[in-house]
Parts: sequence; C-alpha cells; structure tokens
Amino acid sequence: MKSAPLRVPLSDSEIEVSIRGLSVSYQTSTGLYDAIHDLSLAIHRGSITAIIGESGSGKSTLAMAMLNSVTFPGKIRTGAIDYADVGDITGLNAESLRRFRGEHAAMVFQASQDTLNPLKRVGAQLLDMARSHGLRDRKAILREGSLLAERMSLPASRVMAAYQHELSGGMRQRVSMIFALALKPRVVLLDEPTTALDVLSQSHVLQIVRAIHEERHLTTLLITHDMGVVAELSDRVVVMYAGRIMEDAPSRDLLRAPRHPYAKALIRAIPRLTGPLDRAQALPGAPLELRQIPVVGCVFRDRCTLRQSICDEVTPTLREVAPDHRTACHLEVEA
Amino acid sequence: MAFLKVFVRKAIGGLVMIFVVASFTFFLIRLMPGNPVTTKLNALLATGTPYPIALSKVSVMYGFVPNQPVWQQYLTYLGELAHFNLGESISYTGVSVTHIILSAAPWTIIMVLTGVIVSFVLGVLAGVIAAVWRNSWIGQSSTFLATFLHGIPQFMLALVLAYVFTTVWRVFPFGAPYNAAIQPGWTPAFIGSLAKHAVLPVAAYAISGYGGWALTMRSSVTSVLGDEFILAAELRGLTRGMRLRYIARNAFLPLFTTLTLSLGFMFGGSVFIESIFDYPGLGNLLTTSIGAEDYPLMQGAFLLITTAVIVANLLADLLYTAIDPRIRRA
Repeated sequence: MKSAPLRVPLSDSEIEVSIRGLSVSYQTSTGLYDAIHDLSLAIHRGSITAIIGESGSGKSTLAMAMLNSVTFPGKIRTGAIDYADVGDITGLNAESLRRFRGEHAAMVFQASQDTLNPLKRVGAQLLDMARSHGLRDRKAILREGSLLAERMSLPASRVMAAYQHELSGGMRQRVSMIFALALKPRVVLLDEPTTALDVLSQSHVLQIVRAIHEERHLTTLLITHDMGVVAELSDRVVVMYAGRIMEDAPSRDLLRAPRHPYAKALIRAIPRLTGPLDRAQALPGAPLELRQIPVVGCVFRDRCTLRQSICDEVTPTLREVAPDHRTACHLEVEA
Repeated sequence: MAFLKVFVRKAIGGLVMIFVVASFTFFLIRLMPGNPVTTKLNALLATGTPYPIALSKVSVMYGFVPNQPVWQQYLTYLGELAHFNLGESISYTGVSVTHIILSAAPWTIIMVLTGVIVSFVLGVLAGVIAAVWRNSWIGQSSTFLATFLHGIPQFMLALVLAYVFTTVWRVFPFGAPYNAAIQPGWTPAFIGSLAKHAVLPVAAYAISGYGGWALTMRSSVTSVLGDEFILAAELRGLTRGMRLRYIARNAFLPLFTTLTLSLGFMFGGSVFIESIFDYPGLGNLLTTSIGAEDYPLMQGAFLLITTAVIVANLLADLLYTAIDPRIRRA
C-alpha cells in the first residue's frame, strides 16, 4: 500500500478526492435544510478513510453526494467534489456521470441485500454492466467476476449462474462487492458494509475489504458507526455530526486521544468484551433532526457536557489542533 | 416431472371448481322468478288450447316434463354435461347450445381480444411514462387521462362514441357486424366491411380498459422505482435503456395475472358494447338468453365463462413460473 508518512503535509498529487465547501440540502414543506453543511475534506490516495457518526449525521448523504446521486428532494446546493483525473463531478453531464459511476468510483450499499435485479442471473447482470460501459471484451467481466468471487471464498460458477433469491445474506453482500469492483474503479465507497451480517461474516468481509484494497491500490471510504471497524481497518477517521465534520485525524491518534467532546463520547460508548458492561457509557440525548440543527453556534452543544456561552454564539470552525489533526471545538480540551 | 405433477394437481383443482360453479349456476338460474315452460304453457292456454294438449305440446317442445323435480333435472344436466352435451336452446328451438355459442364466440373473441391487446399495450406504456416522469407535465397528464378514462362507465363511452362517429360525424357505420349487402366470404370487400364495423366496438373496449392498465402499471412501476436494485443499477452506471428494461420487466409481473384473467373473462363478452353496437357476440347472447329465460343457453354461457377463467388462471400459474425465477422451485 502506498502511504505517505502521516505527519508530513500531503501534496495535492496524493489526494484522490477533494471535497470543498459541500452543502447538500433537502427541500421540505417548512423550508430548505442542510443535511451536509459546508463540508471540506481531502481523501488521500490509497487510504482507508472511515466516516463515523450516529444515524442521521449525514454519512450516507455524503456517500451519495460523492457519486453525485443525491435524490429528490435532496440536492447538492453548493460546493465541488474533485476526483483526481476526472475533475469536479458536480459539473459532469449525464452521460459522463453515468460512465464515472462504476468505472471510476463505485459504492456498496448499506445492507446490500436487494441490489440485484431479481429476474436476472448474476452473470447476466455483470454482462449488462459491461455493455453499459462499452467494454470491448464483454466476457472479460465474467472472468473478473469469477476471480473476485473466488477471492471472496464464493463458489464462482454457482454464483455467476444464481439468481439473487438463491444467495444467502452474506453471499449477497459479497456479490454486491463483486459488482462494485468489476470495472476496476479507483475509489470504492462502502456504506456500512457489515451491518447486515453476523459476527463471523463481518470479520471475514472486513478482511476481504482490507486485502482487496491493498491489492488494487484502491482509495476506500468506509461509512460505519462501529468503532471496532474503525480500529481494525481505517487509516483515518472523520467524525461527523449534524452534517458537519467534528474531528478529522489519523485513526490511531483519534482512538487514543480524541479531542472533540462528541468523538470522546462516541469512543466511551463502545462496549468492551471484558469488564463490566456499564463501563460503556451511552451518549446522552438524541441526534438532531434536520430542522433542529442550529444555524449559529456549535451543533453539538445541546448534548455537550462542557457547554459554555461561546458555544451558543459562535460557530466553531474546523482547525488544526495538532499536526494533521482537525477539530471543530472552541475548547482546547486535551484527552 | 415436478412440473407435470404441479400441472396435474392444478388441472384437477380446476375441474372440481368447474363442477362446483356449474352446479351453483344450475340452481341459481332456477331460483330466478318465472320459468319458460309456464310462460309458454300460459300462452298456449290463452289461445284456447286445452290443458292436456298444451302440456304435451310444451313437453315435446322443451324435451322434458315441466313438473320433473329440480334434483332430477340436475342429475340429467350433469349426465349430459359429462358427455359435453349442453342441451338444446329453448328460445332457438331445436338448435344445440354448443352450436349457438360457437357461432357467437368468434365475434366476441375478435372484438375483445383486439380491444384487450390494444388497451394493454397502450396502457402499460402510458403507465411507465406516468410513473417514470411523474414529476413532469407529461407524466401528470398521462395520469390524468388514465384516471379520467377509467372513471367513465363503459356503456356511456360506447354511447358517446356511437353518437359522435355514426350520427354527428358519419365516419363509421352503425349497428350490425358487417354490411348485409355484401356477400360473406374471404373477399377484400367483406373483410373491409368487417373491419370498418369493428372499429367503434373495439375502440370502446380498448378505451374503457386503457385507464385501468395505465393506473395499475403506474403504481407498479412507482413501487419498483423505489426498490434498492434500481438505485444500485443507476450507481453501477447502467444505461437508461437498460434500467428501463429492469423496471418494466419487474413492474410487469403483477399485471400478468390480471391480463391472463381478463383474457378468460373475454368469454363473457361485453354486454354493453355488444348491445349498443348490435354486435352478435357472447355478451349479446347472454342478455338475450336471460330475457328469454332460456335456461340451457344461460347455463352454457355461464359454464363457458367459468371454464375460460379457470383455464386462464391455470395458464397464468404455469406461465408465471416461466417469467419469474423466484417461483420456479415452488
């Protein structure tokens, strides 16, 4: 795996995806609300970046935005999403965007249980994909599919000839990863790839993700709310809350010494395998709904134990508190 | 082998169902007020014919003793039915019911089949448009048109068509299935006349069915559009054409059963359209037989509808396994 020493500022050539000032808003009957607000993030080439946060923090919306496929009534309001060698995908025309999806960047859905056409065999659907992307040698995608299937310990010929209903949950999950990787994209977005799986399948799938990521020099974005997955897999963690980045740091640093009260709370909430269960502390309160997000001040203040008057009055900006470690909190809190 | 077993099991079920419905119809018809024999008997008595002579005349005419108990009539009916004998008509004295039905059937089949096919194809297309472009004017007007047409009763539609195109604006002939002045046969003139006379009834049938197909397909497509695999297909960069095919094939499944059943119900004819356009089909036959209290003919017509619907249902079950792999194993 190609990975630069983390303390050295990265040059632009090492950034695979650069998100700048991204706002994704939803039109509702009471007005326009930002599900993602003024978000900027650089995703390093060859890294596994984990996006973590509670449900409703905007993780999946971010993933959808990264394929420019936010659906009505949501839309990308402002901002740019630059992919290396492609440019800003928010400006692509429909045909280029279609080709971009699958060929350059691909996504594996949350749960991924019903991502196949129930009336067609897996192999036939791979061929549809080859045809859509104008592959000259269409059969090559079947060979690639079989290869990936074996790589994921699936019986290749059986899977290629199967309908979706003939596959188990874990198999479906892996088949949807085959589809994501079939056209050899550079960027892979995994939206909670293990939530629908049992514990054994989970660790197996994570191992496969790691191995394929390294073999293919992928840039991987991993959306999860599982700190264990973060620790096991990712190089970098981005903590999101209410559509904003709360903290962005190398995984090791963040797990060992989180700065933002929200990141700290998330880590404290992890139940340990050993020791009393009540050592895990649940986060007080509930995540904000879209229309409750305050416009001024810190979005986390209502659930924060360290709240001060400045938190109500001034919106904290994401700033570097240590080398390569960004936090959006007014309080210079040490771990 | 498994297929054959399923087929035999379903076929036996179908036969039992036909038997039940045939029996039910038999008794239902006899529960209706009035009966043809007494009507005829009274007519003869009114002309001054002595009662014993009138009675024997009627017995000869209808082929049974009027006072035979119903259960005995029922047994006779079943016995004849087992030999595919539907008996003789009462109103068309001496003509077999089978013959009457067979001569009426082609008219209905041609008209209704054409009508169903036209309305189905157009309706399904309109439904896809209404669902896929539901946020634009084209989808919304498609939905509006379908809802509007679906709300018009069939007889009113037929009357309006007949009035506008045969009376106000004389483009099509009114009444009769063909021009009586033309010698029937496989001649261009006769076939042309048939087609010209069929346009309005077919149009009435097609337009009255269109809205239902369009609205059903619309809701089916809308539900498939929300399915995860359609979003997945989009994110895999499949072409629009390919995605539309995925959507259409999946959305079509629920309509398939309805289509097959409506082909079965075709044998009931279309009572309103046939009587308005004076078309000699099964629907017309059914109304006349009821008016004339022609029991055997009524029974025959009902039995035909029943059998057709049951056979269509059986066919739908079998064909379904061919178009939906999820059912193949059951």
